[in-house]
Amino acid sequence: MIARAVAGSAMLSLALMSGCAATIPTELAKARAAYAAAAASQTAALVPAELYKAQLALQRAETEFEDHPRGYHVRDLSYVAERRAELADALAAGSVERTAEGAANVAYQSTQDDIMRDTRQRLGASETDLAVSRATEAATAARLSSADAARAAADVRTSDAQLALARVAAVKEESRGLVVTLAAASLFDVGGVVLLTDSRGLLTSVADSLLERRDREVLVEAHTDSSGTDADNVVLSQRRADAVRTFLVGRGYEVSRIRSVGLGESHPIADNGTAEGRASNRRVEIIVAPARQTEP
Amino acid sequence: MSLRSSLGIALICAATSACATTQALHVESSVAAIRSAEEHGATTVPQASLHLLFAKEALAQATALNTAGDKERAESWLLRAEADAELAVALSRAASERADAEAAVMRVRELRAENPYASGGAK
Repeated sequence: MIARAVAGSAMLSLALMSGCAATIPTELAKARAAYAAAAASQTAALVPAELYKAQLALQRAETEFEDHPRGYHVRDLSYVAERRAELADALAAGSVERTAEGAANVAYQSTQDDIMRDTRQRLGASETDLAVSRATEAATAARLSSADAARAAADVRTSDAQLALARVAAVKEESRGLVVTLAAASLFDVGGVVLLTDSRGLLTSVADSLLERRDREVLVEAHTDSSGTDADNVVLSQRRADAVRTFLVGRGYEVSRIRSVGLGESHPIADNGTAEGRASNRRVEIIVAPARQTEP
Repeated sequence: MSLRSSLGIALICAATSACATTQALHVESSVAAIRSAEEHGATTVPQASLHLLFAKEALAQATALNTAGDKERAESWLLRAEADAELAVALSRAASERADAEAAVMRVRELRAENPYASGGAK
């Protein structure tokens, strides 16, 4: 192709030199210009075969101009040569447009691929979120179920403990909690503050029941009848409450959860005017606080 | 049928009938090129339609010259006619390819506009 182009250029140069003797027809001048423009443009690279045809057409015109510079055939061949150069340009333009279309189609496909990939990623992320959400939901449900089971078990244990306590002492539910009432006579000698040996079995049963619910706050209250001075009764009741508390702690109940208080004769539950009433008033109450409501 | 087509057919008929009375002029290539240009929509592309017109005029001139007995010049004009018709075809095709390319580019732009998160578009 290069050799042809060189040969063509040489021929054109010769033609130009020889053509100087005669007036160059307008058609030939236009053909030369059209070919030169096409050869200098992208046409040479895009459609070299068509440009070569244009070159041949121009060579025919130049040859004719050499042979018959004033003949009509020169004008016609030059006209054709000009059209051939323009034809090559038009084909090159078409080639450019086809390339642009191809690139656009590739870009379209690439964009579609991107959209598909992006959609898949978004879908994957959504599925992951959904799975995490479901797992969290399941875990929450399991926790709730576990909490419910624990609560039910605790209720069973509490119920069992109450039954056990009821067998050894008076048990009743009050607003302040579960109240276990023990007669002082079963725990202490008259005026005594040391637990009777025989009472330890009873208190052990109480302690074992309490230990079923270690999470509860426990208050030990000791009461006296109205015999003696009030001050003496407060001291006596406090020492008795402390004795019971010490025993319960010794059985394993957490010390921070159990308090003791001596209330003396201030809270009678029966008539101090009778022997039976005074016996009832001499008592130790172990109050188990209600369970705190906790959030699931 | 358009005026140009009618003119083209009239010219072809004239060229054919002329063959019967004068020396045979081989107009087939020129006529085929003109028809091809029309089929490629040269009449709807300004520059192509101009060259189509030139082609038809050159064919008419060739026919007239042949009728007048100047077959050599007539054949020379046929070369013009064929060259113009072929150029009209090329220009028509180029216009069509340009339209296709522009449509393809527009399609990509619309797709990216509808899906701005695609990596090919604006992020």
